[in-house]
Amino acid sequence: MASQNSVMAYNDQVLVEEKSLTRILVLNRPKQLNALSYPMISRLLDLFVAYEADPNVKLIILKGNGRAFCAGGDVAAVVHDIRKANWKSGAQFFTKEFTLNYVIATYTKPQVSILNGIVMGGGNGVSMHGRFRVATETSVFAMPETALGLFPDIGASYFLSRLPGFFGEYVGLTGARLDGAEMLACGLATHFVPATKLSLLEEALYKVDSSDSNIISAIIDCYSQQPYLKDQSAYKRSVLSPHSSHFSLDVIDRCFSRKTVEDILSALERESMGKADDWINNTIQSLKKASPTSLKISLRSIREGRIQGVGQCLTREFRMVCHFMEGKLSKDFFEGCRAILLDKDRNPKWEPARLELISEGMVEQFFSRMDDEEWDDLKLPSRSNFVLPRHAIAKL
Amino acid sequence: MSSESPTDRASRRTRILSNHLTTSDLQVGGNSLQSNICLSYSPPELHEKIEFEVRKMRELLDVHNLQDRDWLFGLMMQSKLFNPQEKGGKVFVMPDFNHTKEQQREMTMKRIEYLLERGVFDGWLTTRGPETEMRKFAFMETLGIFDQSLAIKIGVHFFLWGGAIQFFGTKRHHDKWLRDTETYRIKGCFAMTELGHGSNVRGIETVATYDPKTDEFVITTPCESAQKYWIGGAANHATHTVVFSQLNINGRNQGVHAFIVQLRDFDGNICPNIRIADCGHKIGLNGVDNGRIWFDNVRIPRENLLNSVADVTPDGQYKSAIQDPDQVIFSCCRFAAFLAPLTSGRVTISLSAIYSAQIGLAIAIRYALSRRAFSFVPNEPEVLLLDYPSHQRRLLPLVAKTYAMTCAGNYLKKMYVKRTPESNKTIHVVSSGFKAVLTWHNMRTLQECREACGGQGLKTENQVGHLKGEYDVQSTFEGDNNVLMQQVSKALLGEFIAAKKKNKPFKGLGLEYMNEPWPVIPSQLTSDILRSSNFQITTLRLRERDLLNRFAAEMSQHQSSGVNKEYAFALGYQLAEDLGRAFSDRIIFETFLNDEGTVSTGPMKDVVGKLRSLYALTCMEEDAAFLRYGYLSTEKAAAVRAEVAKLCSELRPHALGLVSSFGVPGAFLSPIAFNWIDSNAWSSSSA
Repeated sequence: MASQNSVMAYNDQVLVEEKSLTRILVLNRPKQLNALSYPMISRLLDLFVAYEADPNVKLIILKGNGRAFCAGGDVAAVVHDIRKANWKSGAQFFTKEFTLNYVIATYTKPQVSILNGIVMGGGNGVSMHGRFRVATETSVFAMPETALGLFPDIGASYFLSRLPGFFGEYVGLTGARLDGAEMLACGLATHFVPATKLSLLEEALYKVDSSDSNIISAIIDCYSQQPYLKDQSAYKRSVLSPHSSHFSLDVIDRCFSRKTVEDILSALERESMGKADDWINNTIQSLKKASPTSLKISLRSIREGRIQGVGQCLTREFRMVCHFMEGKLSKDFFEGCRAILLDKDRNPKWEPARLELISEGMVEQFFSRMDDEEWDDLKLPSRSNFVLPRHAIAKL
Repeated sequence: MSSESPTDRASRRTRILSNHLTTSDLQVGGNSLQSNICLSYSPPELHEKIEFEVRKMRELLDVHNLQDRDWLFGLMMQSKLFNPQEKGGKVFVMPDFNHTKEQQREMTMKRIEYLLERGVFDGWLTTRGPETEMRKFAFMETLGIFDQSLAIKIGVHFFLWGGAIQFFGTKRHHDKWLRDTETYRIKGCFAMTELGHGSNVRGIETVATYDPKTDEFVITTPCESAQKYWIGGAANHATHTVVFSQLNINGRNQGVHAFIVQLRDFDGNICPNIRIADCGHKIGLNGVDNGRIWFDNVRIPRENLLNSVADVTPDGQYKSAIQDPDQVIFSCCRFAAFLAPLTSGRVTISLSAIYSAQIGLAIAIRYALSRRAFSFVPNEPEVLLLDYPSHQRRLLPLVAKTYAMTCAGNYLKKMYVKRTPESNKTIHVVSSGFKAVLTWHNMRTLQECREACGGQGLKTENQVGHLKGEYDVQSTFEGDNNVLMQQVSKALLGEFIAAKKKNKPFKGLGLEYMNEPWPVIPSQLTSDILRSSNFQITTLRLRERDLLNRFAAEMSQHQSSGVNKEYAFALGYQLAEDLGRAFSDRIIFETFLNDEGTVSTGPMKDVVGKLRSLYALTCMEEDAAFLRYGYLSTEKAAAVRAEVAKLCSELRPHALGLVSSFGVPGAFLSPIAFNWIDSNAWSSSSA
């Protein structure tokens, strides 16, 4: 694989611009909506590591070429590799990706991600853990893994579980899409800048000669706007009484706080009774379409993530993702990829097909060590030689 | 205080100050590889290694319903009702103790309503069986980690009021009250203690007189000392109570019985002929509305007598399987079954004490892994608190004890949910001993943790100091610890006398070893011997056995000199309390050893083994009985002490892993357990 192709991919798929003390990294696979390939992840990790030690770098900007920021990890390629070799080649991809996520989460210098267009799955892994996330009116966020027979990985159990109330459970289980205004409202984005002002913002950031978060934040503030949440937004909360309202956020808090996926579904069904509410019905439908195994595992992952540090989340998710790649406990990931990405019949046959067929014991297995002598837990790079900024320390 | 000269001190200050002025930029970004002379917080996660799997260790400690616990932690962390506060970039949940007691009580009730709505209490009284009971215990433990008031308020309602209906009542009571209790349509409390009588329930003065003309009981508080006191829930919220009262039938006292009395209507107005007053502000638990109740000839229907053991017929005849009035509630065969609500209370108290100790230790150890003081060598960096052997000696034996006692608590829980009529006596004895030992351990641990955190331990937000007030009550409620210890020894004496009299072998309470010949302690105590479980159990048993023999001898001596039995017990308090502790320590050790046996070989087992040794050797080091009665010679006692220090230094590298395995989420610890520099920064102080 160390062919000329991969060397070229390594150099071409992430472009680097240098502007004084700022480095601009551009995800450059526009035809694939900048889906993260193995060479891209490797390059990003190398660049991040190098810039951390380089006193001539104060700030990193991450953006996408074309109409997407990043549509996710290149899952199709991972499945292809697993089919060709074995599941461990898939695991290799995640080792690199999660390591990158961890370095970003604990990075000593500020990173500004320009989330123009689609930002999904692995795209969130390279942006959400960073210090500044700028949404625009074209942003479309999602963690759609449960529809693919997987679970929200890339450290999502860390950041989803820290969204207000039980919004993280909602976003992680249903794969719901959020726009830029919603991203800002729930805290996934730190700023909202209209797309037309992005180039001005970038230019201003080129001139930065400090890594001080307050200074950078103040610069982005100059171009920021307070966007309006659309009327039917899932993030609308009743201002009157949280108990009697029909507003989505209150329903989310009441339903997605329940103990099990089954309880969540029946709470939603109770809420939908006697109402012609598109939002609730769509929510129920997306849960019913998702892999039951994925739903149960995702819920538990978010709940565990809530009381774990980002490193623990990534290590745990690595175990889980290896189980999915190995395909011994569940083949839903391969089935999901077949139905959504390869055959595109959009009609996956999940196994087991119903929630009640999945016991706690089955779920438990995804969280335990792989039964394989050559396998080891994810070894996160040591960060003990760095003086981490406060927001990074808080994530440990 | 320090050997630093004033000039050294001045130059250090200058260095730090100039550092502030010239290099503040470096700290955030810049060359981050260069460490800053100005103190920065270095998170223990980055420099401490964890050599065992924390998830597995937590399983050893929490054992059951881990996902249920995590769910409940999440429910609390994600709701504004639990007062989330951001400090140093992390969110902490903790009641606002700056609230007045009235506000705290209202918040406790609102939290209960929130948890009720999310289904936390589903099935608590309407389903039965070991699974439900274990889940309830897990939830109680988790709730107590947030706030002891919350756990107690819920505990009184479900375990005392609900438990009284379940255990003292019959079908008609179950049908009428349990479902409404589970949904909080009614709110119950438990009126046993009076101003004049606490542990001695037999002596209570409240009277219930049967009136056959109206088919009613008349409940009366005859004098001020008979007012019901400390009744949790009574001051503000309870609609109903179980009242313990002497039963008077045709002028004859039938002993203590339990009755249901309504206290408030559904609008919260106090019912006629009932007076309720507040117990006032307390040193802790102000989220619980403890009240005092007077009954002014309150009339209740005959059916409100909880009649599982004794009943009164409409024409006023007393029917009971047991003849002696004193025996109705206290009869030997019924004792444990009848006081089951109190036993389950002791189980929950023991467990909540141990979780409180976990909170304290997690905070103090994490702080000791990030706070530095003084240098061993001039101009070298200051030393982490936990790298001082003395600091290790203060905290790590408490960690070892907390591990051992967590296992003991789990053993008690299991025994309780699997209870049979045969196991009731054991449960009663073990729960009495554990309740006393575990709650004392918690108070001592919190005090040590508070001191180990220095001035930071005084801040309410840092928990360790404040928790002392919240948990102090545990030493006396549901059985005064000293009284409980004496009860344990009384029970052991009973076993001793029975075995000797009938010349039968000891059976039960783990006393079977007393049928064997007296053991011999090895003459040379090498490190290997000191760390062998065989030596440890032998020595702990030797103490228990000898103390029991001494206690029995003392009792018979008193009695043969004409002292009555009860007074003889009172005179023998010294041995009785030592024996109670020796018994509890020994069972705690055995349960820990047993759990160690379930761990598969590897780094985790090694660490658990060290903890077990540290637990056993600390018990020996701390109790003067080992020297007083010569179980250990002075040389051997010195060897034990040296080994304790050695074990502390060997466990030091595992400290972070050990407290992380407690499974108390960071949000339930405190700012000093994390980035205490940032949480105290000027920029944080305006918020």
